[in-house]
Amino acid sequence: MAELAYSSAEDAALVRAAQKGDTDAFEELVARHRDKIYARAFSMMRNEEEAIDLSQEAWVKGWQRLAQFQGDSSFATWITRIVINLCLDELRKQKRRRTESIEGMDEESGGVERQMPVVMTNPTERLERGELRQRIERALSQLSHEHRTVLVLHEFEEMEYKEIAKAMECSIGTVMSRLFYARRKLASLLADLKNENS
Amino acid sequence: MNEEQQLKLQAFLDGELPEKDAREVASWLARDSDATQLHAELRNTRQALKGFEPQLKVPESREFYWSKIKREIERSTPAPVPERVSLFTSLRRFLLPLGAVAVLTLAGIVTLHQFGGSVVHPVQVNAILADAGAFTYRDEAQGVTVVWLSYPAEKKLADSPSRATLPAK
Repeated sequence: MAELAYSSAEDAALVRAAQKGDTDAFEELVARHRDKIYARAFSMMRNEEEAIDLSQEAWVKGWQRLAQFQGDSSFATWITRIVINLCLDELRKQKRRRTESIEGMDEESGGVERQMPVVMTNPTERLERGELRQRIERALSQLSHEHRTVLVLHEFEEMEYKEIAKAMECSIGTVMSRLFYARRKLASLLADLKNENS
Repeated sequence: MNEEQQLKLQAFLDGELPEKDAREVASWLARDSDATQLHAELRNTRQALKGFEPQLKVPESREFYWSKIKREIERSTPAPVPERVSLFTSLRRFLLPLGAVAVLTLAGIVTLHQFGGSVVHPVQVNAILADAGAFTYRDEAQGVTVVWLSYPAEKKLADSPSRATLPAK
């Protein structure tokens, strides 16, 4: 059999080789997608060390479950779902450990965001792309885990309400509420940051 | 605007409403300025996030990052499962030598019967009782010697202490 040129091979070919036990092919897949997997873990955990550990755990799980990958989605989507599930599990563990805060209860039941005045300015206007990215990063870090997660899954992973509900083990109504308040809070945070700037 | 209306407006923005509900919300948006403003805010926030996801890179070298994964993979990879011996294989090991003994015994009986006992030939049959897989048939008159050796009897032959000799008729 001809030797596989890893760096130029398509993901599908690397996956097939890895499914036969080729760890070099799997290493190439890790090298290609590791930044995205790490970024997804970080966007949910907001902690560098946890993001590294969980992303590496996702790759190990990916290797162990490689036989189950049928190619229904892209390999990148498949491995991203694995890291998302690991992060959700970890967040659930952390939530059980920590005492429910007043803020947390407030967010679950609607909080003050529902009553906030509508933000009229568009955050994408008059800001450089890099600056807007930084501001979004800061604003995201100020959201609760629940609100940030639902936002990340909906906006970045483009998951539907029912998919998010399944992943987060909650109702579609809860997903809709969390998404709504997360967006409203983010709008106000971006507006405040913009006011600070001007 | 109540919470249900707010969430419906958001579902409209996200394309999650059935067609009939979506038409109703579109009509409502056209005549309600509060709804229009809230819809605009939600849309702006969504646009701000789309395409502006923070770009992050793993703060470790490729080699170091991979080495930890590889170590875990090697640690967790299950050892090869030993090949199981099937029932058929087990039976075959037992039945083959037994069958050979039966065939040779039958051949001996037929030979004796053929000559009707009128002519007595010196026939010697040696069976190694330690293992029924080793069997010798010798007919002096015919000058025929048949030796059946089968594994593992073949290996044990030299060690076999017990040997029975059937006297020639």
